[in-house]
Amino acid sequence: MDLKVIDHATCTFCGCVCDDIQLHADDERIHQAKKACVLGKAWFLNHTAERKYPDALIDGKEATVDEAIAAAAEHLYQADMPLVYGMSNTTCEAQRECVEMADHLGGLLDSHTSL
Amino acid sequence: MGGKVTCTLGEVKNRADFIVYWGGNPAECHPRHFTKYTLMQKSPFLPRGRKDRTMVLVDIRETKSAKASNIFLQVRPGKDFELITLLRAMIKDQPISEAQVAETGLTIEQLQDFVSRMKAAKYGVFFFGMGLSMTRGKHMNSAALLTLAAEMNAFTKFVAMPMRGHGNVTGADVIMRWQTGYPFGISFNRGYPRYNPGEFSTVDVLVRGDTDCAFIIGADPGATMPQPAIDHLAKVPTIVLDPHVTHTSKLARVHITTAPAGISAPGTAYRMDEIPLPLRPALKSPYPSDEEVVRRIKEALLEKPDWMGERPQMLQNQI
Amino acid sequence: MLRITGGTIYDPANGINGEVRDLYVEDGKFVSSFTGGRTIDATGLVIFPGGVDVHTHVAGGSINFARAMTPEDHRRTQAFIRSQTRRSGLGGMAPTTFATGYLYAGMGFTTVNEAAVPVLSARHTHEEMADIPIVDKSCLVLMANNEIMLDLLEAGEYERAKHIVAWHVWAAKAYGVKAVNPGGVAAWKWGKDANQLSEPVEGYKNTTPGSIVTSLAKIIDELGLPHPIHLHCNNLGAPGNITTTLETMKHLEGHRAHMAHLQYHAYGGDDWDTMKSESAQLAEYFNAHPNMTTDAGAVLFGDTVTITADGPWQHLLYKLTGRKWGNLDVENETGCGIVPYSYRPSNLVNAVQWATGLELLLLIDDPWRVFLSTDHPNGACFWRYPEIVQLLMCADFRKECMAGLPPEIMNRITLPEINREYTLYEIATIMSAGPARALGLQQKGNLGIGKDADMVIYHSDKDIARMFGHPRYVIKRGEIVIEEGDIRETPDGSEYLVKPSFDPGTDEFLRPLFEDRYCMSFENYPVEMERIERPDLQQCITTE
Repeated sequence: MDLKVIDHATCTFCGCVCDDIQLHADDERIHQAKKACVLGKAWFLNHTAERKYPDALIDGKEATVDEAIAAAAEHLYQADMPLVYGMSNTTCEAQRECVEMADHLGGLLDSHTSL
Repeated sequence: MGGKVTCTLGEVKNRADFIVYWGGNPAECHPRHFTKYTLMQKSPFLPRGRKDRTMVLVDIRETKSAKASNIFLQVRPGKDFELITLLRAMIKDQPISEAQVAETGLTIEQLQDFVSRMKAAKYGVFFFGMGLSMTRGKHMNSAALLTLAAEMNAFTKFVAMPMRGHGNVTGADVIMRWQTGYPFGISFNRGYPRYNPGEFSTVDVLVRGDTDCAFIIGADPGATMPQPAIDHLAKVPTIVLDPHVTHTSKLARVHITTAPAGISAPGTAYRMDEIPLPLRPALKSPYPSDEEVVRRIKEALLEKPDWMGERPQMLQNQI
Repeated sequence: MLRITGGTIYDPANGINGEVRDLYVEDGKFVSSFTGGRTIDATGLVIFPGGVDVHTHVAGGSINFARAMTPEDHRRTQAFIRSQTRRSGLGGMAPTTFATGYLYAGMGFTTVNEAAVPVLSARHTHEEMADIPIVDKSCLVLMANNEIMLDLLEAGEYERAKHIVAWHVWAAKAYGVKAVNPGGVAAWKWGKDANQLSEPVEGYKNTTPGSIVTSLAKIIDELGLPHPIHLHCNNLGAPGNITTTLETMKHLEGHRAHMAHLQYHAYGGDDWDTMKSESAQLAEYFNAHPNMTTDAGAVLFGDTVTITADGPWQHLLYKLTGRKWGNLDVENETGCGIVPYSYRPSNLVNAVQWATGLELLLLIDDPWRVFLSTDHPNGACFWRYPEIVQLLMCADFRKECMAGLPPEIMNRITLPEINREYTLYEIATIMSAGPARALGLQQKGNLGIGKDADMVIYHSDKDIARMFGHPRYVIKRGEIVIEEGDIRETPDGSEYLVKPSFDPGTDEFLRPLFEDRYCMSFENYPVEMERIERPDLQQCITTE
C-alpha cells in the first residue's frame, strides 16, 4: 500500500518545534519521519491511530466520552478552588479553551513554566 | 533591571558569531538546535557557517554538548549567579577579587578570555536551560543572565533566550499573557486574573492542599512532581486529558483519551522564540482532540447555574 | 431594527454639523426609514459616528511582550470581572485583549488599526485580534526593513520589489503597509541606526532611508492599497529631528502618505537640554501639502510602557531611564523594543512633548488630515483620549495645565499663543470621519444610508472629559454594546484585509531567498485565510 506523504509537518516534542518534517503514514501509523531528530522520530512513530486505550475512565471503569465530560464538569463545578494545570503537550486552540474554562470556574491556572 | 533582550531564531542563524549555551544540553535535549538554528547554518553574513562561529558551553558537567563547543567552562554547581555577577563587573572594568573568581571553579584567565570574546563578537547570544533556571538561585539566575545580555549592548549586539522544552509550553505562556496579562501562576477566584508564583503555582498549591479539584491536560504531574503534591492529586477529584493513560490518569477520578497534537490533532504550536507554527497531522485519531473535549466541558459548565452571583462589572482599583 | 430619534448629529462625512435628525438601523446598517422596531429617544443627546483609531498597538508579539514586562501595573489597574457571557480582563498600560475591546467600546470607539505586524508572527497577531471583542480591526505589515525587499531596491529591481510587497501584505493577511525607521531597524541588527536620510543604510551601497521611503510610497500607490504608506520616520524622539521629518516629507511629494505619531518627529534643538517644539514649522509644511495625513501621537503625563519597532531608540531610552528593557529582533523583517516610561510635567523634555502633540492638533488647520492618537501605549494609553479631547476643546483648561509646567518651557513651545478651540464637529472629524477616510474604510466613520451602524451617543456635558469618557450609548452595527457605562453585548468584530495583485511566480522567486534567511518552512509562513475570524476583504483602489 502506498504511504501518504505529509510535507512541512511540525514536531511538537521539544521547544525547537521543527516544521520541516516529512511524514510517511498509512491509516494507522507513521512509518517514517524524515529530518526529525531521534526524539522527534520516537514521538512521531510511537503515536498511532489505534484504539489502544479506552475512550474514557471514570473511577477506573471504562466510560463513554459523553459520560466523562459530564463527570468532569460536575467535579469542576462542585469544587471551591479548581486547578487547571499543564497545557504543554497540546495545541494553542486547546490552551485558549483551558484559559476560558479557568476564567469561568474562578479557579487557578498554571503551566509547566512554574515548575 | 528587568526585561529581556532577545530575537527570533532566524536572527541567530543569520548573524550570531558568538553562541553561549548556559546550563543546557542541546545535543541531547534539543538535538536539532545546533544544525537548524545555530552552529551549522551558513548565512550571507556568516558564509562559512560553523567556522565563522564560536560556541561556549557553561555547565556543571561535561555533557555531550561540550563536544560541539569551542570552549567549555565548567562552573561549580550552584555558582552560576556568582559567575554572571563577576562577568557583569568585568565587562565594566570593575574590580573583582581572586577569592570571588576561585569560588566559581574557573580561573581569571578563563573569565578574561570569555569577556574579551563577548566584546569582540559582532552578534552574541546566550541560550539558557534548566541547569541555570531550575538550580540554586532559580529565576534570580535567569534575571542575572538577561541583565548581562542587556548590558553587553553597550559594547556590541547581544541577546538572550531561554531553551524552552515541553513542546508547546511557550504557547501556553503567550496565550495566558494576552488573555490574562500574566504568563502562569494565575488565580481567577476574585473573578479577574491575579498573579503570584509561590502562591498560585501548582506545586505550592498541591503541597499546601489548596485545591479541591485538579484538571490536568498535556502534562503528567503524577510522574514528575514531589510526592506530597502527588498525594494531594490522589486525594481530590482529578481529571486528566491525555493521549495515553498516564501515571496521573491512574490516580484520577476521570480520564479522557484525546488525540495527540500534531500527530492526529490539528492546530498551532509556538516555538521557543514565540513564533507560531501550524500543525499538519498525518493520522486520523479515534479519539477527540483536547480542544473539542475542553470546549464541551466548558459548555457543560455554562449550562449549570452561575455560582458567582451579583458582582460589579469592574473594579476601578484592585484591592 | 432600531430608531434613534431627536439626537443632535455630528456627521462630518456627510457635512452634518449639529442637526437634529432621526437615524434608522436595520441589519447593522443605516437605512432611510421603517416603521416599528425599538426606539431610543436621543432628544438633547449628541451623536457621533463610532470612533476609529488609525494607529494603535493592541495585538501581537510586541504588546504581548509589554504585558509580560508590566505585571506590577496589571496588579493595580482596573479589573473587569467575568460574567456568564463575558471574559475577565485587566486594563492599564498594556490591557489584555478582552479589556482592550471593553475599553475602546466604552469610550465610543468601534474600529481600530493595529499598526505593526511582522509576517513571521502575524498568526499570533490575528489570534489576539480574534480575542478583542466588539471592535472591528485591521493591521499593517512591517516592510521598510525587510531585507529581501531592500536587496531588490539596492539592485534596482523596483517591479520585483512591488510584487514582494504585495505578496507580504497577503501573506500577513494585512490591510496595509507600515514603514518604521526605514533602514534603521535593519541596521540595529548590528547595533547601528539610520539617522541620515541620504546616507546608505548599514550593509548597503545605494539604498538610503530616503530612497526606501520614496519607493515604498510609490509601490503602495501603484498597488492601490486603500490606506497609503503608514510611515514612522527616522530619528524618532531625537532633539532636532524636524530636519529629518521635513526631508522625509519632501521624499513623499507626489504620493499619498500617512505620517504616524508626528509629535515624536517635531523637535528642534541640539540635545536634551536645548530640545524644543518645532510644531509650527512642521504644521506650516504639512498644511501646504495635501498629499499627507497624520495622527498626533500625543503625550499625556503619567505612567505607560513604550513599544516600537524602533529598536535603537528603545536602547537609548533604556540607557536614559535605567528601567526595564525588552528587545526582540525578528529575522529579515523588523524588530521591536519595549521600555516602561513615566511622562512627568516637571521633566522639561516630557513637557515639550506634551505641548508638541497638542500644538500639532491645533496648528494643522484641516481636521480631515490630523487624527486623535497617542500611539498607544507610547504617548499614553488609548483610554485617555477623552482627556485630549478636553484639552483641544478648552483653551482655559490648557492654560491651567500649562501653569503646572516648568517656567523655562515657555520659550520652547508655542502652545500658550494658540487660542483655537475644537468644535464638536471637528472632534467628530479627527476621531472618526477623518481616520476612517484615511484608512479607506468607506463603511466607517459615516452615518449615511447603507453605512455600518456604528455610533456613539453622548450626554451633552460641560465636563468634556466626562462626556467623552462615559457615553450614554455605544452602538456597534446596530447593536447596543454599551449603555450608561454597562457592557451590554460583546459581539465579535470583523477583520479588514486586502489582496493586492502580484505575479504568481513570486512564490518561486521568494522561496530560495526565504530559505537563506529564515528557519521555518516557506509553506508554513503565510497566514492561512481560514485562520482569520470574520474576514472582510476590501478592494484595492486606483490612485492617480
